[in-house]
Amino acid sequence: MNGIIELLEAAGLTGRGGAAFSTAIKVKAAHENGAELIVNACDGEIGAAKDAWIVEHRLPELIEGASLVARGRRPKVRYAAHRGSRTAALLHSAGLHVLEAPHRYVSSEETSLIQLAHGGPAKPMTKRAPFVFGGRDSQGHRVRPTVVLNAETLLRVSQINRHGATWFRSFGTELEPGPRLVAISGHVARPGVHEVAAGMSIADILALAGGLPEDARHVGVGGLGGVLLTAQDARTTIWTGGGMKRHGGSLGPGIFTVWDPSECPVETAIQLLSYGAGESAGQCGPCMFGLPALAGDWAAYGRTPSTDRYQRLQLRLDLLQRRGACAHPDGVSRFARSALATLRPEFAAHANHSCQKGGLRHARLV
Amino acid sequence: MPDSSEGVRIAVDRVLCTGHGVCAQTLPGAIVLDEWGYPVIRSEAVDPEAAALAVKLCPARALYRR
Repeated sequence: MNGIIELLEAAGLTGRGGAAFSTAIKVKAAHENGAELIVNACDGEIGAAKDAWIVEHRLPELIEGASLVARGRRPKVRYAAHRGSRTAALLHSAGLHVLEAPHRYVSSEETSLIQLAHGGPAKPMTKRAPFVFGGRDSQGHRVRPTVVLNAETLLRVSQINRHGATWFRSFGTELEPGPRLVAISGHVARPGVHEVAAGMSIADILALAGGLPEDARHVGVGGLGGVLLTAQDARTTIWTGGGMKRHGGSLGPGIFTVWDPSECPVETAIQLLSYGAGESAGQCGPCMFGLPALAGDWAAYGRTPSTDRYQRLQLRLDLLQRRGACAHPDGVSRFARSALATLRPEFAAHANHSCQKGGLRHARLV
Repeated sequence: MPDSSEGVRIAVDRVLCTGHGVCAQTLPGAIVLDEWGYPVIRSEAVDPEAAALAVKLCPARALYRR
């Protein structure tokens, strides 16, 4: 009966939502606690598109994967998607129980979905212990054992169940096995969702979308919680955890965004950081006050760099780590820190007023 | 990294915390406040008795033992 857990362990499947936690451990805890399942198909990260792709093209496998995780006499499975989205409509028409999350950045975060499913607002909760064991929200209300898995994770669960661990491990690397879906968007010929694996070069991955254009200068990897690479680094980096770690990143949720070279990248980064600040749920002080302060100081430094401003920015970045109920402030500070390092030549151009694009053209979000 | 064997570990429920700043008084050194008055945990492992008192005195009931 419980063969699936051993199978997942042998396959080495990790969560495809970005955190890369062992799926076997999560599913084992879910079975032991009779946890309800929330399938996260929100594509909540900026640039994400694979959850929608799965619901559109691989729904039967997704449902099968969910049935392998949600056990018990009356298994409860909810499919989370953004309210009014095409994904939500497809899930509804398949007769599934849809959990419609509001269109806010943090509303598709794991604990936000759990709170929403149990009748609360779609805002993150403090995780004193994993909610797969059950827990309490901040008002002290009990929360039933619930586990959240990304849609791609469940697709992989069903594939591993059908084809076995050896098949799964024939893709990717020893450390990061299995096929992975990535979303490629921005300044490329054919944006879309593609199946790749860890160990491929970023250049080869982007080739699936028509390649990294000659005039491209920056590539975002991982969305608002990810990092920014120069096009040159993107051409030479191998997409593994280790390869990305050198740039402060990880495989994350599998998102590549080639930035439009006609826009000043400093302005693009400022827009992203301002968006991130506005998307704080406003619950945790360090995030509610810290993110707008970071966005403001980052913009001030980016437009008119000075040593004082740089030092203040470093303090701001340090104060955003592990100080929220969720990892939103951590993610935004990671991106801010990465963009700060990657855009150094652009700051120099702003310092001597030689940037040709500064402040004139505005980037388009998402 | 602080050695957790030297004391109990404390954490802040960031949703509950409203920045009264009492913990910075009850656990000086281990907790300092940022410019908005929210706690910054400098050392997670603190003396068990001091931790118990600080948890009891937190007006938002946000400070807890891990």
